[in-house]
Amino acid sequence: MSLKRYQNELVALLAFLLMLGAFLYKNGQISSQEKYATTTKQAVGDFKEIIALKKIWADKKTSKKVEKLKNLIPAAKVKWSSKSKKLTASYKGLTAPELNKLVTKILDLPVEIQKLKIQKIASFYDVEFKCKW
Amino acid sequence: MGNNKELLLAHASMKPVTSSQTVNVMLTPQFYTLKKEALPVRWAYQAKRIAPSLFDGLLEEGRHYDYMVWKEEGNWVFLAYDLEKITSFLETKGFALENVSKLFFAQQAIDLFDKPLLLGDNEVLVSLDHTAVMVPRAVLAEDEGPSLVFNNSFTPKNGVVLQGSYGSILNVKQASILVAVFSLFAMIFFVEGWRYSDNSKAGEGEMQQLREAYPSLQSKYTRDSIAAKYKTLDTIERKKRDVIKTLSKMIFKGVTLVSFELNEKSFKVQFSCSDAKVAKRLNTLAKKEKFSISKVAGGNDLKIEGTL
Repeated sequence: MSLKRYQNELVALLAFLLMLGAFLYKNGQISSQEKYATTTKQAVGDFKEIIALKKIWADKKTSKKVEKLKNLIPAAKVKWSSKSKKLTASYKGLTAPELNKLVTKILDLPVEIQKLKIQKIASFYDVEFKCKW
Repeated sequence: MGNNKELLLAHASMKPVTSSQTVNVMLTPQFYTLKKEALPVRWAYQAKRIAPSLFDGLLEEGRHYDYMVWKEEGNWVFLAYDLEKITSFLETKGFALENVSKLFFAQQAIDLFDKPLLLGDNEVLVSLDHTAVMVPRAVLAEDEGPSLVFNNSFTPKNGVVLQGSYGSILNVKQASILVAVFSLFAMIFFVEGWRYSDNSKAGEGEMQQLREAYPSLQSKYTRDSIAAKYKTLDTIERKKRDVIKTLSKMIFKGVTLVSFELNEKSFKVQFSCSDAKVAKRLNTLAKKEKFSISKVAGGNDLKIEGTL
């Protein structure tokens, strides 16, 4: 069989293959683009998460926020020792509302809770709190 | 003039050919029907459109004819030919059709037939009234002189493309349409693909903005290190707070907190319950949270422990 005899079909076939190649090229680009978009989205998401984490756990205002724990309860009931981003505080004779207020405040602080001890003495509560940031 | 290929004159009494080279073939009037008409049409395509009606009754019925039209000194020259008949003849004379590049007709080169051209022993191709005709050799005068030399210079400008018009599924027109359509789609796909590849660069914009806003986080190593540090811290600290919130929900009517202690690894809490029913309810709640529960001897107090 001579190829020349079927040159019309061959030319059409070549054009078809060219189209097929172009189609595969386009699909390849779409798929790599989707992959790239997913990777970029993930990277952007990770970046934003790091920023958010840093904003919470490396907040420069944390010291001031921790300081508020001292003024939350009448000074007579508080023994306060804060040194170099570390706090040891003990509270004596807290009423239930005072205890609730203190614990709620502690939970909202971006600090590493090293120790939280609550002991009921009669109808009052003693609290020991150690943290760092 | 496309005379780079050998031009062979095909006539009914010709000897079989043996050449395997690509050739052009010129056909004698034995293979076509000619008509000249002065028609008031301007373009060849208009003339070609009315060609079939001009040959009404002149051509063999039941055959398929193609037409060639051109203008010659104020007249339109119409030429009807049966391609199937021509190709059959060529094959009987040993032509491989794939080696036949173009078909021409003697009438197209009529100006060059200024002398008779001997075809075999009995026939002569001559120009009579500016028309190529076959006549018996006997009608020529004795002193007619030597025969015309037929060569590639007789190759006219336009011919009938034979390649691909035989044995193929697709004719030239169909193939051209398919090629055009496929090429168009190919181009569209390429352009789309190129645009997609170009768009991939745009995705970096937000990342670049973040890098510029936080230069200290430009290095991936730094980012990974910070992420590892704070993610662990965040997880542990959230768990501590969740435990405290869960335990606080266990303080309902009849339950009093006696003691609570939480450190970096574990927690323990003691609740005092007003009666056994309250203690049971508390026990259920603690079990639900999968905490370790123990009853304090001599009362309804419950001790709950767990790890972080």
